[in-house]
Amino acid sequence: MDRILTLRRATFAALALGLAASINDASAQEPSIDIYFGRKPAEYKVAITGPDRVESPAYAFRFAKIIPVSTAPIDDGIVLTRNGKIVALGKAGEVAIPQGFELVDMSEHWCVPGLVDLHCHIAAKGFDLNDTVHQTNPEMRTVDLVTMDHEDMRNALAGGVTTVLYIPGSGSNMGGFGTLTKTWGRTPQEALLRFPGCLKIAQAGNPERRSGDLGMTPLGMNAGLRETLLRGQAYYEEWEAFDRGEGPKPELRADLEYLRGLFRHEYPIAVHTQIYQVVLQTIRQLRNELGLWTVIVHGTFDAYRLSEFALESGVPICNGPRQYHFDRGSGWGSGSGMEGAFVGTANGWYAGGMHGFGETQRGVGIDGIGINTDSPVVAQHELTLQCAMAVRLGLPDAVGIRAITLNQARFVGVADRIGSLEVGKDADMGIWSGDPIDPRSHVEMTLVNGNIAYKRDPLKPRF
Amino acid sequence: MMMHRTTVLAAALAALTLAPDGSAQRFGRRGRPPEAQPQAAPQPEKPAENKKVESWTVIQGGDVHVGDGTVLRRTHVVLADDKIHAVGQEVEIPEGATIVDATGKVVAPGFCLPMASGFGAPGGGSDVREGLNPFDPTIKMGLAAGITSFLWTSGSGAGTPGGNSAVVKLAYGDLDGMVCVENTTASMRMPLSAQDLSKFRDLVEQARKHQDAVKEAASKPDTKAPAAPKGTEEILKVMSGEKRLWIASGGGGFRFPGMGGSGSRGFDQTQIRQAMEIASLLGVGVVLDRPIEAWAIADEVAATGSMAVVSPRQRVENDEAAPDTTGSNIAQSAILHAAGVPVAVTTPSGRFGGSPSIGTGGIMGQDLNTPHVDAAFAVRGGMPNRAALRTLTLDSAKIANADRRVGSIEAGKDADILILDGDPLHYKTFVETALVNGKVVYRKDDEPFYRHIRR
Repeated sequence: MDRILTLRRATFAALALGLAASINDASAQEPSIDIYFGRKPAEYKVAITGPDRVESPAYAFRFAKIIPVSTAPIDDGIVLTRNGKIVALGKAGEVAIPQGFELVDMSEHWCVPGLVDLHCHIAAKGFDLNDTVHQTNPEMRTVDLVTMDHEDMRNALAGGVTTVLYIPGSGSNMGGFGTLTKTWGRTPQEALLRFPGCLKIAQAGNPERRSGDLGMTPLGMNAGLRETLLRGQAYYEEWEAFDRGEGPKPELRADLEYLRGLFRHEYPIAVHTQIYQVVLQTIRQLRNELGLWTVIVHGTFDAYRLSEFALESGVPICNGPRQYHFDRGSGWGSGSGMEGAFVGTANGWYAGGMHGFGETQRGVGIDGIGINTDSPVVAQHELTLQCAMAVRLGLPDAVGIRAITLNQARFVGVADRIGSLEVGKDADMGIWSGDPIDPRSHVEMTLVNGNIAYKRDPLKPRF
Repeated sequence: MMMHRTTVLAAALAALTLAPDGSAQRFGRRGRPPEAQPQAAPQPEKPAENKKVESWTVIQGGDVHVGDGTVLRRTHVVLADDKIHAVGQEVEIPEGATIVDATGKVVAPGFCLPMASGFGAPGGGSDVREGLNPFDPTIKMGLAAGITSFLWTSGSGAGTPGGNSAVVKLAYGDLDGMVCVENTTASMRMPLSAQDLSKFRDLVEQARKHQDAVKEAASKPDTKAPAAPKGTEEILKVMSGEKRLWIASGGGGFRFPGMGGSGSRGFDQTQIRQAMEIASLLGVGVVLDRPIEAWAIADEVAATGSMAVVSPRQRVENDEAAPDTTGSNIAQSAILHAAGVPVAVTTPSGRFGGSPSIGTGGIMGQDLNTPHVDAAFAVRGGMPNRAALRTLTLDSAKIANADRRVGSIEAGKDADILILDGDPLHYKTFVETALVNGKVVYRKDDEPFYRHIRR
């Protein structure tokens, strides 16, 4: 462990000096983790974003409680929405309701931000996200598959989920490029937040090539990933040289074009990685060596033991679909120092702890932890159940709600649009019968871009 | 369609208002009135008067959730050996009794699960006793989840009731205490072909004739009772209430329509109506195993005195031709309960299928580590919080046909009791202490599973 510590500190320092392009998210308070973020949309050359403003009626909602997440809860509050945005929010009586706003009385309900899930496979009607002929597939993308009007998306809305990172499966090491999309829109284009939302990498624990060829073990898998990423980096550098007027215009390469955007830090890698050893590889190779914007979106088993390494490397964690690690005391996954316990992995990442080592490992803290479903492995509408299970096993309540809203929005660089209830942000709201983390509460209404995307039928509620 | 749906709900709501915990006793919709009434309020077995009590235990001062939907504040529960002796705010504390302080805690019946596997009772085989292991580590994990007994089943009949079953207790370390009741249920699969249904009708007719012949023989001093006709033995046990018939759908595979599942709606209304026909033929209520669309015909199910095991959060897509009355409905437990149908909840067995069991794989919510959260989903669908505890206690015990022994905290019943640190259906609630047959078999602080969680 000591050697790793030394190495990673050196690497991190080098990166901090070398990457001037890094733009950190401005936040009022000192964040618990210094997440490495990429560029803002104004600088995108490869990524595209959806419309920032969409039509929606002028609504004036009155709620029993508003949980903005970014600020303190408001009892008896008002939220005004129009043309896709939140135009005002505050205590009833302190927010004037202008003429022309339709009053919607939800004064027995809670309002929370639309929920965000960075590990989703259900934004298309079919489940066809693994093309595994090649070990790495940078030429593949999900943006063409997104469909709005199907059962899984309707269930997502009924569970209060309004934004997902729709990513390829983990059948190969590099499944292709994911799409950040809302779960409702009159067209997929209207729902689009950003494409690529991320590059999907699956480091281990599915992409193993079981026929016995290259990629049967981490050695081969890492070699394949590294080779493809380095090809992408070379292509990116050709374009950068051209942009500086120092080289010829490169030939457009469909298979490398999105890797160029990745190296421009326009979007992160969402990594399906789990187990201590594999997450160690992920953080080292992708974040510390290649300097890429990296978000862990699976992060389970005993990987939480790397909480301090993730913290120091600026890598945030989405934990799921597993919510606990059970250390049997021998073999794979052992050494946690918590033999025989159901250890909440989200809390392990968040709070840190001894984690089986000689000294306490710091955790990623309140700003570094997210929770994901890997839908349909855990149903998309059960995102809050995943959060409830994380809270049951130790994650504090206040962290739980952040982990399924603002934190995940920040991890992928779209917190200027979604993740909390603030004036100017998208009017994506879940209107709940009570505390959204308690499975006994239900969603009464879901708004996406200010439009009512789901309304509970009292005779046949969806979820 | 809308009319029908509204009627169902109106009836459900009326029932909810009038009799929140009403029994399901009605006459069959098109059959004869039920003869046996297995779902009537159970009379706990009375302990033998002359039995000397060896050890007394008093669980003192907790808020007691009886299991029938009622709560008794600051109430004592007196245990005589393995049975509940008395429940009340003013009870006599026997001399030398072990006192368990439950002040500020919640006391609830141990959960009796209608579907489970593991817990020291391996599947398969015809005799549950052959494989019992009272030291199976999953027993302790089950106790940590609040489970004190479950319905073990093996095999099922093809076109007629069959299979073996037992209610197995999580009596850690006590082999003799593990089997609660045996063969109180039988099971069969739906749907039946027209031919099989016709055969089944014939068998029921033969069984009725046989019952009449037995009665007649009993009235004549020198007449020996005739032997049951071949093939009617199990049917006779179901008709007499000795066994409760479980009916499951053979048409599953709806969990992941996009990942190779069949996309079938599973136990739909057509199959449920056939099951109701079988209940009417037999003259007794049956147990419907995850009847996806029972909510749409709750009154018909109630009319036969039948019961249901449901996974409240299971989603099944509706038929686009009749979206309002088909597919799953998270309100299903609430609607069935309000109509007077006893409901037990179970856990979705997850993407890996099979009977739900305790998990160590980490996908929490798809295992039996949190059965109370499945009952919480019944509340999400509109079931009252207190009544919803019945889905794990009294009503699930009824469905396992073991409610004379377990499922509620009442004098005479088995001392299978939990002491909890909060509302039984709150997701953060943990079992602090579990007793089975009057013995403490689990303490959170003594086991590695959850003792690190402190609030």
